[in-house]
Amino acid sequence: MTELTTKYLRDEKARGTSCPGCGLRPAHLKVLEAIDRLGISQADIVWGTGIGCSGRQTYATWKGDTFAGTHGRVYAMATGLRLALPPNKKIILTVGDGDAYTIGLQHLLNCARRNVGVTVVVLDNLGYQSTGGQYSITTPEGSVTDSSPRGTWEQNWAGSGLDILNVIKEAGATFIARHTVLQGDAVVSSLEKAIQNPGFSLVQIVYPCVSHFGVQALGTRNIPQVYTWFESYPLATGILQDSIGSRPEFSDAFRQQNKKVKKGNQDV
Amino acid sequence: MRRIFDTGNAAICEGAIFAGCRVFAGYPITPATEIAENMARRLPEEDGFYLQAEDEIAALHICNGASLGGLKAMTATSGPGYILFADAFGWALSSEIPVVIINSQRVGPVSGITGAPGQGEFYLSRYLAHGGNYETIVLAPASVQEAFLLTVRAFYLSERFRTPVTILADQMVTDGWETLELPESEEEAQNMDLQRWERKVHPGPDFYPPTDAIDIPPVVLGHNTGGACSDWTPTLQGHDTEDFELHHKHAWRLIHKILSHRELIDDAEEWEVEDAEIILVAYGTPSRVVKSAVQEGRAKGLRIGGIRLISLWPFQDRLFKRKASYLVVELNWDGQLVKEVQRAARGSAVHFWGRCGELPSVKELLATAEQIKEGKTLSRDAWKTERW
Ligand code: SF4
Repeated sequence: MTELTTKYLRDEKARGTSCPGCGLRPAHLKVLEAIDRLGISQADIVWGTGIGCSGRQTYATWKGDTFAGTHGRVYAMATGLRLALPPNKKIILTVGDGDAYTIGLQHLLNCARRNVGVTVVVLDNLGYQSTGGQYSITTPEGSVTDSSPRGTWEQNWAGSGLDILNVIKEAGATFIARHTVLQGDAVVSSLEKAIQNPGFSLVQIVYPCVSHFGVQALGTRNIPQVYTWFESYPLATGILQDSIGSRPEFSDAFRQQNKKVKKGNQDV
Repeated sequence: MRRIFDTGNAAICEGAIFAGCRVFAGYPITPATEIAENMARRLPEEDGFYLQAEDEIAALHICNGASLGGLKAMTATSGPGYILFADAFGWALSSEIPVVIINSQRVGPVSGITGAPGQGEFYLSRYLAHGGNYETIVLAPASVQEAFLLTVRAFYLSERFRTPVTILADQMVTDGWETLELPESEEEAQNMDLQRWERKVHPGPDFYPPTDAIDIPPVVLGHNTGGACSDWTPTLQGHDTEDFELHHKHAWRLIHKILSHRELIDDAEEWEVEDAEIILVAYGTPSRVVKSAVQEGRAKGLRIGGIRLISLWPFQDRLFKRKASYLVVELNWDGQLVKEVQRAARGSAVHFWGRCGELPSVKELLATAEQIKEGKTLSRDAWKTERW
C-alpha cells in the first residue's frame, strides 16, 4: 500500500484486481496522483467507471462517491449527473478503449460536443483483454489476438493514418492528451490540466496488458520485454488539444439559458 | 382547480412537473414526440432541464445519471425507442435508482404503423431488463385525466420503491384531447388524492440492505456518503461481487420489496362483476369500449361485467378468481394480456378479442359475448378459429 492508496482508496478494494505486472494499476495511481497534486478533496469528486479490466480495477475503489455505468453509456449518464451536481464537483470517468471508442463512441462524441464538464480517462490496453484478448480499434494493425489468429487486417483508428483522437477533437473536446503509462510525470501533469478544465477532457493512457496483448501480439510473457515495446508506442503522445475555456461548459450554459427563458417570460 | 382541454401528452408533462420532475431527456418518436415538446417548453420555467438525446439509449441513461445526482427524471417513447431503453432500464432497476418511463404504444412489430394505437408491449414492459430476478411496476392510464394522475403516482412509487416505474399508455390516450383538471393548491391536490415523495439521500454505508422494506432512499452521488452503485451484483455497501448468496439477497430484495407492498401498487376498476356470466377485461383505451359494452349489455339483460386494469404489473391474479367466462379485449392480434388472464383464471374459460390500430365497437363486443353465452365458436373475418 502506498500513501496515495491509503489516502484515497477503500481498504477492501485498494489492492485492485489487475494481473501481476499489468500497467493498469500504475495508470490508476496516476489519476490519484493528479488529484493529490491539485489538492481536490474527496467530497468534490464523483468517480464513474465502465466495465472490463479498467472498470473492475477502478469501480468502488474511490473512498468518496462512485458508480459504474452500463458498457459504453457512462458518458450519457455523466451528462445527466452533471446537471444535478454543483459546478465545483468534478466527475472523473475511468473507462476502457472498447467502452469509449467503439460501443460508447456515439455518447462520447455527444458528450464532447456538449462540452460536458467531465474528465474521461481512457485506460487503453489495446484490445478486449478482460474477455481473454480480442482486437479492438486501438490494437496495432497486424496484431495476433484470440479473434485475429492470422493478425488483424481491418483498418482501425490507431493506424492507417487514422487516429480516433482526431474524431474526438472535431467533436469539440476542449482538452485531449495521450500518453503511455511509462511517461511518468507528463501523464500526471496532463491529468491535472484535464481535471481542471471546466469542460470536456479526455486523456488516453496506453498501458501494457501482460497476460493477453503481451503473450498474443508480442509473443512474450516477459514483463520487461512487454514494457520495452511500449517505449516505442507508435502514435503521437502528449497534449494534442488544449482549447480550455473556448466554449461554455454544458451545465453552465444550460443554467444561463434557463435564466434567459425565465427572464423572457417575465418580460412578456 | 384549473380546467383545460388538452392531450394526454400534456397531462403527462403536467403530472411530471407536479411530481417534481426536473429532467427530461428524449428522442423524437411518433406518437410520444409531443411529450418531449411539452417538456421542452415547460421545464425551463421550473428550473428544469430538457435534453434532446442522441438516441433512446442515451435518453434513459441521461435520466438515470440525473436521478443519481438527486434530480427526478423522466423519458418518453414508443415501441422502436422503448426497446432501446432495455439497457438503461436494467441499470436503474438493479442499482435501484428512481426514474419514470412513458411508453405510448403504437402498432408493431418494429416500426409497424406509427400513428395508431397498439398494445404489443404488455410482456415487454414486464421483462424489458435481461437476466430476470426482479419484479417491476407498470401502470396503464385510459384517459387524459388519468394520464396526469398516474404520472404523479409513477413518481411517487418510483421514489418509495426506488425503482423505475413504467407508464404503458397507448396512442389514443396520449394523442387524445379531453378535459383535464389540474390542482392549483395543496388542498386541491389532497382532494385529488395526489401524493408526492421528496427525494432523500441514503447516508450509507449499507446502501443495499437485505430487506423487503421500502422507503429506503437510493444512492445519491455528490454528498460524499461513499455512495456506490453499479450494474454488478452489489454487496451491502454497493461494491461489486460474484458471491451467490449476496446475489440471492439482492434478487430477493428486488422481487419482494415490490411483492410485499402491493397495496400501494394494485389498482383496477370493476363493473358489474358480482353476478356476471361473462367478464370483459382490458386496459388503456379499449377499456372505455368495454365499460360502454357492460352498460349496454346490462340494459339488454345480459349478465355481463368488466374489469379494467390500472396497474398491470405485478399482475393482479386475485381479480380473476370468479367463475365466469372471461373475454380479454386487446389492441393486438397475438393476445398478450389474455395469456396472463388465462393463467390467473385457471378453471374458467378465457377468450380473446384482438384488433390492431383501431378500437372494437360496443356492438362487436356484445355480439361476441352473445356467441360465448350460446357456446358458439368465435369467428370473425380475420379470426376464423377460436384458439383461446
Ligand atoms: S487482462 Fe491484461 S489488461 Fe486486464 S488486468 Fe490482466 S494484464 Fe491487465
